[in-house]
Amino acid sequence: MKKERSKKYKILQALRILVQTLFFLLFIYLLFGTHFPGKDYIGRVEIFFHFDPLLAVAIFIASRTIFVSFIFAAFTVILTFVLGRVVCGWVCPLGSLHQFFSFIFKKSKLLKPKKNSDNRTVWKYYLLIFILVGTLFSLNLVGIFDPLSLLYRSFATSILPAVSHSFSAFIGLLYQVNLSSLGDILVQFYENLAVNPTFLQGFFIGVLFISIVLLNISRERFWCRYLCPLGAFLGLISRWNVVKLKIDPQKCIECNLCTIHCQTQANPFPEEEWKSHECVYCLTCSAICPTSAVCFPIKSTPEKILHVDLSRRKLIFTSILGLLAVPFFRLSPSARRASPKLIRPPGALPEKMFLQKCVKCGECMKVCPTNALQPALTEAGPEGIWTPMLVPKIGYCEYYCSLCSQVCPTGAIRELTVEEKTQIKIGLAWVDKNRCIPYVLGTPCIVCEEHCPTSPKAIKLVKIEVKLPDGNIKTPVAPVIDIDLCIGCGICETKCPVVDKPAIYVTSVGESRSERNQLLLDIIKTF
Amino acid sequence: MKRRDFVKEIALGSLILKFNPGLFAQNKGTPDLAWIKGDSPALLTKEAIATLGGMKSFVSKGDIVMVKPNIGWDRPPKLAACTNPEIVKTIVELSLDAGAKQVKVIDNPCNPARRTYVRSGIAEAAKKAGAKVSFPNPHRLKKVALKGEWLKEWEVYTDFIEADKIINVPIAKTHSLSRLTMGMKNWLGALGGNRNQLHQKLDQVMIDLSAFFKPCLTVLDGYRILIRNGPQGGRLSDVKLHKTVVAGVDYVAVDTAGATFFEMSPQELPYLQIAHQKGLGEINLEKLVIEKRTL
Repeated sequence: MKKERSKKYKILQALRILVQTLFFLLFIYLLFGTHFPGKDYIGRVEIFFHFDPLLAVAIFIASRTIFVSFIFAAFTVILTFVLGRVVCGWVCPLGSLHQFFSFIFKKSKLLKPKKNSDNRTVWKYYLLIFILVGTLFSLNLVGIFDPLSLLYRSFATSILPAVSHSFSAFIGLLYQVNLSSLGDILVQFYENLAVNPTFLQGFFIGVLFISIVLLNISRERFWCRYLCPLGAFLGLISRWNVVKLKIDPQKCIECNLCTIHCQTQANPFPEEEWKSHECVYCLTCSAICPTSAVCFPIKSTPEKILHVDLSRRKLIFTSILGLLAVPFFRLSPSARRASPKLIRPPGALPEKMFLQKCVKCGECMKVCPTNALQPALTEAGPEGIWTPMLVPKIGYCEYYCSLCSQVCPTGAIRELTVEEKTQIKIGLAWVDKNRCIPYVLGTPCIVCEEHCPTSPKAIKLVKIEVKLPDGNIKTPVAPVIDIDLCIGCGICETKCPVVDKPAIYVTSVGESRSERNQLLLDIIKTF
Repeated sequence: MKRRDFVKEIALGSLILKFNPGLFAQNKGTPDLAWIKGDSPALLTKEAIATLGGMKSFVSKGDIVMVKPNIGWDRPPKLAACTNPEIVKTIVELSLDAGAKQVKVIDNPCNPARRTYVRSGIAEAAKKAGAKVSFPNPHRLKKVALKGEWLKEWEVYTDFIEADKIINVPIAKTHSLSRLTMGMKNWLGALGGNRNQLHQKLDQVMIDLSAFFKPCLTVLDGYRILIRNGPQGGRLSDVKLHKTVVAGVDYVAVDTAGATFFEMSPQELPYLQIAHQKGLGEINLEKLVIEKRTL
């Protein structure tokens, strides 16, 4: 028996790695490109998401509305229908990342490919069903598990900020060793990258992400193999698989290498048991085969497709679980009463609709020029975890900026022009007279008024009388809010010199998007 | 010399003097303030500097010059929240023409620098003129003994300390605490740290900072001035087209001149009064030689 690996598949495998690298770099490029571009309107940096049919379907069902940009997802669907899960193996940036780390873990002997296959691959199908059953009742959990959302969120709120902190520290080191001219260049470069460095849940999201990557120590591409709901979705629609696995029985020495090294447990050997819906066409099997027995010829007849092996009982069980989850996720009071801290970005749809559409991807948090948008934890209820909210203690809503509304891939934040954006209220500011410097110390301050971006200013200064501890009376000017003019941008809170707990703060009441979260029953104005 | 020739020459000389009275006046000294009105911000600036004896009297060959405009807000030039980019550009050009080795432009703004530098038009204009425009660099912040009356020390961008010459290029705007913000308030943009706490004694801070930074020249942008909702305005109706540039070495005098744009006297601006008492500059415009001109 001639022992020789197939050159053709070696080359194809190299090509696949190249394509994966390119798509991953494109993803990173668009991620880095998601910041104020020096002009008011940014291009389609969120395009990756629009090729994601899982998001398209889940949002369509959850919100009962069609978002036109998701038309690109049809391309992915057709591609998968014809060619199988090539998107998983050749395009998906999270898949590439997992594969890269699997490779690293294999090389470092942390991961030993196992002979036996298991039936945990069905998990992802149940997860998919769980998610989709929820969407029937408008419970949108797809963003938590969707690979693109997961990757983008983790990178934007955790990995990049961590890298940027290290980079900053490195620059600091340069100044310490008198390489300040190099430091100067790097600082300007760093400033131009505009990475938002501060995220409330950066640590938590980061730990989750790293855990998911570390799962690759247990099994190669653990996430893709067992968990990815998009992979499951694409597996279900890969019906034709024009390119089919073929093992030449003449050459095969039954060494089982192909199955051991299969990245997604598609079981190439024996040929009859090849699971086309698990195959991501990475071509590892054909490249690794010592006798060039495994190949992927084009065979246009649909045949021998093994169906996903889901038990009816478990299917019903999962559906019921998904059903039960719906009320469970809605136990929080957030639906009844608006949370004061839940200041949504300008253009955000009314809360119910917003939750149906937001996929927690973090695009808005990445693009925000002041780092103001942060992933929520409990503020929006359990279904609203990691949805964006403005935290004025960290940053504020920049007056002439509508970037978050432009990059939102699902329309959860309605696309706005800068002009439209300046008209939107996202909350109202309140003065804490117990802490405000003029009210307490009788000394001037006016910092909030100075920064208030509306014209005329929503913060007025009025003369007040302050009794000081020594009994003397001072008459400084102090801030008072004109709630008609206040748009809730929060710059007053960000810039307030009372650092620990600002003496002026914004809450969500009065937000334009809500009918109920209002301060005044101003019927004449609303209609 | 014959008597006739003598008489002839006297007659000729007096004729020349009659038609050209400035002939011997040239050396009487440059004015304290150049106060120029006209339509083009660039020409106004050029004329103002020329009136003060040209940029060469402020910038020497090989100097590193720091130009400090106000780039504080994410607002376009027409809203008069930041210094006019044409004026900044002209100062950069003149400094380089005068032999400056390098001209730097830096301001620590209130809105993110990446936005204000762009929307103000200043970064592009100054770069075009050949300046090195950089974002304020946190690694270059250093706690510096300011030796002010109240402000003893604060974090300052060392670029300002290392420069050979500093030219202050503020814009004239209203401000609810200092009443007006012009040259002396502009120094807050050279600081880091929690600047907002400085507002508790802003007047004294402005004086302490001005005395510390000692600009070799202040060029006040009064082309568009912000007459209400300062210091960032927001509507065109907040802006008044005043078409003036005032320049001078005495920064107290320049701010005093700027106050007249708003029909205010130095008596209404406590910081000018204190600065004058400390001997930092003149607030009595009558005592100054002012060259007012309209182009």
